[in-house]
Amino acid sequence: MFKKILIANRGEIAVRIIRACRELGIATVAVYSDADRDALHVMLADEAYHIGPSKPSESYLVGEKVVAAAKKSGAEAIHPGFGFLSENEAFAELCEKEGVVFIGPSAEAIRLMGDKVTARKIAREAKIPLVPGSEGAVSDVEASRVAKKIGYPVMIKASAGGGGKGMRLVNSKENFESSLRMARSEAFSSFGDDSVFIEKFIQQPRHVEVQVLGDRHGNLLHLFERECSIQRRHQKVIEEAPSGFISQKTRKNMCEVALRIAKAVDYFGAGTVEFIMDQEENFYFLEMNTRVQVEHPVTEMITGIDIVKWMIRIASGEKLPFKQSSIKMQGHALECRVYAEDPATNFLPSPGPLHYVRAPSGPGVRDDSSVYSGCEITSFYDPMLSKLVVWGNSREDAVDRMLSALREYVVLGVRTNLGFLIRMMRDPEFRKAQIDTGFIERHPELLVPEESDPEVILMAAAVAMNGGSNQIAQGKTASSSGWKLFARRVGVSGNPLL
Amino acid sequence: MTYTFKLGNKTYKVGFEEKEGLSLFSIDDEQKEIEFLRIDESTYSILVDNQSITVGIFREGKKIQVFHEGDLYELEAVSGRDASQAEGTGSLNITAPMHSRVVKILKKQGDSVEVGDSVIVVEAMKMESELKASASGTVKEIRVKEGETVEKDSVLVALSDSE
Repeated sequence: MFKKILIANRGEIAVRIIRACRELGIATVAVYSDADRDALHVMLADEAYHIGPSKPSESYLVGEKVVAAAKKSGAEAIHPGFGFLSENEAFAELCEKEGVVFIGPSAEAIRLMGDKVTARKIAREAKIPLVPGSEGAVSDVEASRVAKKIGYPVMIKASAGGGGKGMRLVNSKENFESSLRMARSEAFSSFGDDSVFIEKFIQQPRHVEVQVLGDRHGNLLHLFERECSIQRRHQKVIEEAPSGFISQKTRKNMCEVALRIAKAVDYFGAGTVEFIMDQEENFYFLEMNTRVQVEHPVTEMITGIDIVKWMIRIASGEKLPFKQSSIKMQGHALECRVYAEDPATNFLPSPGPLHYVRAPSGPGVRDDSSVYSGCEITSFYDPMLSKLVVWGNSREDAVDRMLSALREYVVLGVRTNLGFLIRMMRDPEFRKAQIDTGFIERHPELLVPEESDPEVILMAAAVAMNGGSNQIAQGKTASSSGWKLFARRVGVSGNPLL
Repeated sequence: MTYTFKLGNKTYKVGFEEKEGLSLFSIDDEQKEIEFLRIDESTYSILVDNQSITVGIFREGKKIQVFHEGDLYELEAVSGRDASQAEGTGSLNITAPMHSRVVKILKKQGDSVEVGDSVIVVEAMKMESELKASASGTVKEIRVKEGETVEKDSVLVALSDSE
């Protein structure tokens, strides 16, 4: 096993990986940009190396700086997390060349699955069902020809894309040209590559994906599916495991197909095979993500398997000790991504000082977070504050538990999607698992609070005027001793750093 | 003490008196006894008619944030004079929602715009957003160039209304 690992990431995933390392008795090395000197991952790690300015392209995306920090610190391996360098084959190769273990699949698997066009080709050869569309990247002329042939609505997607960037849905011929221009420009600014491909748009599609885990000794297993159909701007917001929709037969088929495509690229490490599914449970291969997913906790909750720890063990050469038949799923898990964004303005990010945060707790509640009262949400990085995860005996129990936990969350300073998430948990269609990727667009009423009597809010405002501003009010405090206050805060959050 | 609060586009007048350890809150001539306790720097527990309400509060001068059941409400305590001004129409100008970069300007000076028309495309956090006109009018002045980096709340395009 490794003695020291560098985490080439920031935010909650860096914190998540550091925690896994600490549990495994592995020393941790953080890297950070100018904006992240006060970040939680820096505080939790044993060592921290500054790797440059706040812009990701000058720090977290510079492989040479990350590898140099690993060598200087004596770290034997690098965990890339998600985003940044996690699906960059050149970085995986650089690690190998410099004698540092890349915690992930082979550079070859990243290359094959990273380019969506190549991935589709491999899927076609492995007889995996695919959505109709262009065979590879297309010119503007070809793009509109393909769109016409397969019929609107169509999707324009960045060849090098991910996370919804450089992606556009086009409903009619009239909007095609402007959407194509926007998709190319977004693709170029996000990935430095403006090539796009065209795909048929499935009506009311569901997003279902299969988690796979393979070791370097040829063992390859699946950890069942996750459904991530609740999305905004083509990015996931609420994820769950298992899907509340598919039949046992579809589950079995889908997991087998996922293993087939993973096998086609000799996959090892943790990976996710994403499918788009129509309302008849027909599923088509979308892409394979060759890294840990944001939503991996829901799978951990229903299988009891710690995916991040296994990624580390696999990279160090360990064999998976369990068989497919011994992996069982139990109960239902939900994850809500808590974002600093404003649902009322089409989910625009809401960076700024985070004055105060109090996270929920209680049975079956897990909050994977990287923020604390007084930290700053900068516009340099993704505005995700935390991932609130719950487990319940059934989907219904999990939804109720999530609702209860969300109602305990308090965030002041930046706008968040918490109110929206609460309204989601109360929505009758969501509760019946009648969801698809167009759900949020169809339910604009969930974006803003219902018009209600503002009495409580005005009462609170009057209290605010009488309760002082930035310091604890004189006289009317719950406890006057600083130590008691500190103890109370620690008691609430369980962690003085939070 | 009477306070006037602006919440959204509405203003409310509320009364608040402290008497012998209790507070009297009134709105629209209805008075309620409330008791409040500050739990930590931003958490308040309010008891009213034996209902227990927990809110998050952050105040900087006149600006107040109240967090309740997942939603953040931004209020402003306004004096009488400010209150009458607040009732006037808001600016039609298009401002930057955050620190961002101007990607494309879709209108030019003198163009007329309808409510909901896209006027300018900005990019932040690698995400492009089209900013739309909140009312119909005419483009009076374009104050930025494509590629320029702009600060939150800076005016990008000045619009004048159709009258």
